[in-house]
Amino acid sequence: MAICIETRNVSKIFGGLTAVNDVNLVVEDKSITSIIGPNGAGKTTLFNCISGYYTPEIGQILYNGNEIHGLPTFTIASIGISRTYQNIRLFSEMTAIENIMVGQHPQQKNIWIDSMLATKRHRTEYSATVEEARKLLKFVGLEGLGDHLAKNLPYGAQRRLEIARALGNKPKLLLLDEPTAGMNPQETGHMTSFIRSLRDDLGITIILIEHDMRVVMDISDQIAVLDYGEKIAEGKPKDIQSNQRVIEAYLGPGGSVLTQKYQQRKKLRHDAKS
Amino acid sequence: MSNLSLKNGRNAGIVFGIIILIMFSTGFTLIGNQLVAKLIGNEGFKGLDQFKVFVIFMVLMGLWNGSTAARKPAIAKDEMMPAIANGLVAGLVFGVFSLVISVFFGTMLIIKVDIRNYLVNISPESTKLFLFDQTPVLGGAYHFGIALITSFAGAFLAHFTRTNQSLRNFIANSKRSVSDFSGSPKVVSTVNNQYFKIASYLVLAALLIIIPRQWGSYWNYVFGTVGIYVLLGLGLNIITGWAGQLVIGYVAFFAVGAYSFSLLTSPAPHNLMWNFWIALAVGVVAAAVSGLLIGLPILNLRGDYLAIVTLGLAEIIRILLKSDMLTDFTGGPRGLQKVGGPTLLGNSITSDIDFMYLIIIAVLVVTFFAYRLQNSRTGKAWYAINLDETVARATGINAYSSKLLALTLSAAVAGLAGALFASRNQFTGPDDHALMVSINVICLVIVGGIGNIPGIFLGAFALKGLPEILREIENYRLLVFGVLLIVMMRIRPEGFLPSQRPKLEHPIDLAKSGKEE
Repeated sequence: MAICIETRNVSKIFGGLTAVNDVNLVVEDKSITSIIGPNGAGKTTLFNCISGYYTPEIGQILYNGNEIHGLPTFTIASIGISRTYQNIRLFSEMTAIENIMVGQHPQQKNIWIDSMLATKRHRTEYSATVEEARKLLKFVGLEGLGDHLAKNLPYGAQRRLEIARALGNKPKLLLLDEPTAGMNPQETGHMTSFIRSLRDDLGITIILIEHDMRVVMDISDQIAVLDYGEKIAEGKPKDIQSNQRVIEAYLGPGGSVLTQKYQQRKKLRHDAKS
Repeated sequence: MSNLSLKNGRNAGIVFGIIILIMFSTGFTLIGNQLVAKLIGNEGFKGLDQFKVFVIFMVLMGLWNGSTAARKPAIAKDEMMPAIANGLVAGLVFGVFSLVISVFFGTMLIIKVDIRNYLVNISPESTKLFLFDQTPVLGGAYHFGIALITSFAGAFLAHFTRTNQSLRNFIANSKRSVSDFSGSPKVVSTVNNQYFKIASYLVLAALLIIIPRQWGSYWNYVFGTVGIYVLLGLGLNIITGWAGQLVIGYVAFFAVGAYSFSLLTSPAPHNLMWNFWIALAVGVVAAAVSGLLIGLPILNLRGDYLAIVTLGLAEIIRILLKSDMLTDFTGGPRGLQKVGGPTLLGNSITSDIDFMYLIIIAVLVVTFFAYRLQNSRTGKAWYAINLDETVARATGINAYSSKLLALTLSAAVAGLAGALFASRNQFTGPDDHALMVSINVICLVIVGGIGNIPGIFLGAFALKGLPEILREIENYRLLVFGVLLIVMMRIRPEGFLPSQRPKLEHPIDLAKSGKEE
């Protein structure tokens, strides 16, 4: 399968702190990759490097084989990399549908003079944009809420609206920063199947940061684990679950002993039952 | 009864007492008196001596005082006692204030201390007026009595209007019927009807053509100035209202437009005498270019850099124009005289009516384009930058070039306004381009409702039209202005006409869908 995005030896240094240290990550087309790790492990910094907020001091980021590190954020967005934020960042004073229309910005060609003179390009693109935005609104299940200000929407709807805005750009790669944060189990379930449908129906490659291990293990094709800026493990969900270094990163040095005991007791209980 | 709170009454009384003290010491009682006389249609006090009018003024103040005291939300709605008691307390405090003022200043008048040495505006006339031409103690007693009685009456009235069921039903019903009427499908479809729209535009156009011919040169002058400020407001609104970048020295672009236009059309110092329309275009382009050049180095930064740089630019331009160094090029401190007027097919059209038409056309054109830009792709990009620049960049908006475009367009509009202003006055000088112009424009945009086009019209009228109409209180312009700003911040913090977002999901049935939800 073709490679969608690849980071080669990426390091990001803030003063004396190395937030991301020599991270290599290969993400295949139409796959779902999860990045996990304890708080402060550098997950969001890696996202910020990919989406162009930061330029990594060392290393390369390749998108479809082209170097994109160092490009301005808006260029990276316009070549098809969209993202959402850990703490929802919608344009709060705009309506929901307008938020999506801002997301569609790179998809349009008309400039200010078209709008002032209402040229054909403006009119056709404008109606197409509104139409497309309504479709996206329906797709994320916010039909009927389009004319409400974004700040007045309920929390779950804001999360979905943020994804809809990211989809407005017709992305090839979608970076989701904790999409299920603050959701109850039912909403999390909806979000999980929704993310899967993004990949299956729209063919979008997805990288997500997530703390909810049930979600991560459920939908990921590949998991990368960061700790103190370094990638300490990578692989299929099953491999990660039993990886010693990952357990230690989460539970401390004694963590692996604890989990072994837990596994043993589970096994004993299972045997006793049968 | 035990927990009867009289705090509201005391506070209202103190506030109104201080108001009357300030009014008296700034001489506003005299002016207020004249306004009341005007209000009851008796200008010049014909057959009605001014002391009686002042009684009316004080009665109005007292009623207001009492109703304020009784209306405060802390007072239980249906209890009569607290409301009346608070009203009485308010009247008492207010009355004591008036009594003290009367006795003190009245005594000063009698022992012939010229209080004007300390407080310029307290003339013997105004003191006499305040005392109803009586002795200090008697005048004070009158004041005390009026305050007590009217505050009581005010409190009673306020209580009555709040608790009387039939009155409240009537108000609620009329409110409901108005909103029912304006929201009913029939009205909505009529308003959205194409022919109705065309007809209303025609009526508007006819009014705009007829009115300037009818109301004489004074009103043409006043509303011409309002029109110029509407243009400035529309221009500033692009960069500050929509793109969210504060520009304090907006007058810089106004000056560039005015001066480049005037230098090309004035006989001195260069005697170029260009055609009006070409010079107008050059003025607009020169202002736009100056905006572009100022924006180039700073607009990729965030924050208030643009505000500071334009502030500096405005002052530099004004000081340069004023300096002797450039007198040979820009006319120096005396400015440029005999700036050219517009021509049409070889005829000079420079009467006040023609200028009014010209300004109306300019305002209409700019408003039209502003409306088109507002919700376009460009307008949305600007607003996105305003709300969250980081996220706007991440959604693919080139924030730098968008902001540059906004600044250039807004400078171009300022250039247009400047050229028209210079041409109408047939003069432009450094003092026309003082920083106060920028401050006024920022204020009118904020007062009207930032980001909203009708708000700018309202703001320009409130800030530039009203002071002209209320010539009597010209000296109190800043006082009224301050009061206006405070009132606005209290009751409408987003401006008198805050901006509304368009309904795009259900554009036509907006009235219906609003009711269903």
